[in-house]
Amino acid sequence: MTETASDRPVSDADYLTLQRFLNHEAALLDHRRFDEWLGLLTADVIYRMTLQVTRDAARPNDEYAIIDEGIDALKMRLAQIGTPRLTHAENPASFTRRFVTNLEAWYAEAPGEMVARTSILVHRRKTALPEGGFYVGERRDVLRRGEEGALRLARREVRLDHAIAFGGPVSTLF
Amino acid sequence: MADDGSSATRQRWVDEARGFVSRDAFVSEEIFRLEIERIFGRCWVLLAHESEIPEPGDYVVRDLGGARVIVVRDGEIRALLNSCRHRGTELCRADQGNARHFVCPYHGWSYRRDGKLITTVYDRHMPQDAAFSELGLIPVPRVENYKGLIFGCWDADVVPLPRYLGDFAWYLDAFFARTPRGMEVLAPPHRWRTKANWKLGALNFIGDNQHVLTTHAGPTTLDPIRSAQAGLFTPGKDSVQLITDEGHGCTLTYLKEDLPEKYYQTHAPELEPLYAQTLKPDQLAMLRRLRVAVGNVFPNFSFIEATVGIGQKAVIIRQWQPVGATEMEILSWVLAERETTPEYKQHVLKAGFRLFGMAGVFEQDDLTIWASAIAASDNPVARRYPFGFQTALPYLDHPATDFAGPGRAWRPIETEVVQFEFMRRWERVMLSNR
Repeated sequence: MTETASDRPVSDADYLTLQRFLNHEAALLDHRRFDEWLGLLTADVIYRMTLQVTRDAARPNDEYAIIDEGIDALKMRLAQIGTPRLTHAENPASFTRRFVTNLEAWYAEAPGEMVARTSILVHRRKTALPEGGFYVGERRDVLRRGEEGALRLARREVRLDHAIAFGGPVSTLF
Repeated sequence: MADDGSSATRQRWVDEARGFVSRDAFVSEEIFRLEIERIFGRCWVLLAHESEIPEPGDYVVRDLGGARVIVVRDGEIRALLNSCRHRGTELCRADQGNARHFVCPYHGWSYRRDGKLITTVYDRHMPQDAAFSELGLIPVPRVENYKGLIFGCWDADVVPLPRYLGDFAWYLDAFFARTPRGMEVLAPPHRWRTKANWKLGALNFIGDNQHVLTTHAGPTTLDPIRSAQAGLFTPGKDSVQLITDEGHGCTLTYLKEDLPEKYYQTHAPELEPLYAQTLKPDQLAMLRRLRVAVGNVFPNFSFIEATVGIGQKAVIIRQWQPVGATEMEILSWVLAERETTPEYKQHVLKAGFRLFGMAGVFEQDDLTIWASAIAASDNPVARRYPFGFQTALPYLDHPATDFAGPGRAWRPIETEVVQFEFMRRWERVMLSNR
């Protein structure tokens, strides 16, 4: 993935299109409309989520993946948490609220692709508990225009700032 | 939840006649404090795998009985309390790294990697007779390496590690030392905290074969896991659960008898000659047709050897670090044989954490349920009613007579006999007053 903002920031029109896309897909996940969300992914999507390892300052912190999946495993994960008899982690379903901000975007080298970097704050509350917890991180997405011109998510890397996940295992996608 | 103040040591928690274990063992802070002294202060506890710290000066910071220790390679591997002798500051504030010396950020006290104090910066103001040799970092008195597995113990008088592992070493060899170069940790451990007692993890791994299809209805029925592992969730008749005299145990789940031939290739064919070089024939025979092995080394070192595809086995280490009676920090490592290709290792790593990492499709349901069990038990009413292990009782005195491997073994695997034996072992260690 392109790591640095290129000298080709997206146009204002594309920026708005991206913003609208990211808001929409966050709302689909918040409202557990998983099939519609899966419809926004390319067939070759790669979805990664990482946590931090704290190293001494002489070496940069690095990350390790806790999720690293293609489309088939993503479908399985969402079928699991979307089917009450197949999940305990999400039955009752948790309430999630995704805040997606600080969008920066530029054109990728591959034609028709854009890179979007955002900050995310995700609140998750299990229904049985009075209060929930937050996940904080940075997302780097690659979005690609399909044949009809609609945007599709081709790659997502969620870099959580946490070193230890506070609330037990992660069962939701961000 | 306040304890009733009665001395925890005067009680018994395991009702051997009726197959009950007191819920206090899982929620009482008083019992937890006794565990820290008698279990985590006296038993050998896993600290790291040697492949995590390959070079001189490499270190990781780990928990040993509630204390953070630096596990560092300095010729041999040592473990030192991560706290300056002057004002207590942590020497290492990273999870892992490489150090020539350990230098305190507060006043500059510096220590060698073996813990010896080099300078306090103001040595000239120290008394003439200051005993510098006594001001080194507090060492973990016993650190031993069993075939790459680094253990530590706060009790200087503990039995040597090979004796502590006892008969179970036969199984550890088959999972962790089965090729000439041994195993390698593939990535830093996943770490997460859960509001559950550490023993729920140990019990689940040492022999809870009743929960798989109820707790894990998702991954055992959904593609791609279901289709990749067709028929694998039905255990073969010779599957067995076992425990050794030292309290270490596992379940060996074999493939059932009528699967297509290809499924019986449970590990990579190119590893077979390496296993044959390293293992005894009976260990090799155990590994063939083994679909999954899940076990626990007393107290809190669990492992899984799991089939993650045809000819692919992931080995996972899982540790249940106690934080309090009702909270633990979990570490999860994925390992593979050093001799395998980078592609094989990547595949095993991804498959291993897809199933058993902190976002694993098995893990998320187990942990939700354990936290729920503790939340519902941590109140005065629930605590009057013990946890049931009744399916152990008809089997306790009737181990399998035709089992050749080390340990006492039982069939079928869907009883709680090994879990109950774990709790009996736990109680004996808790009550031993020496």
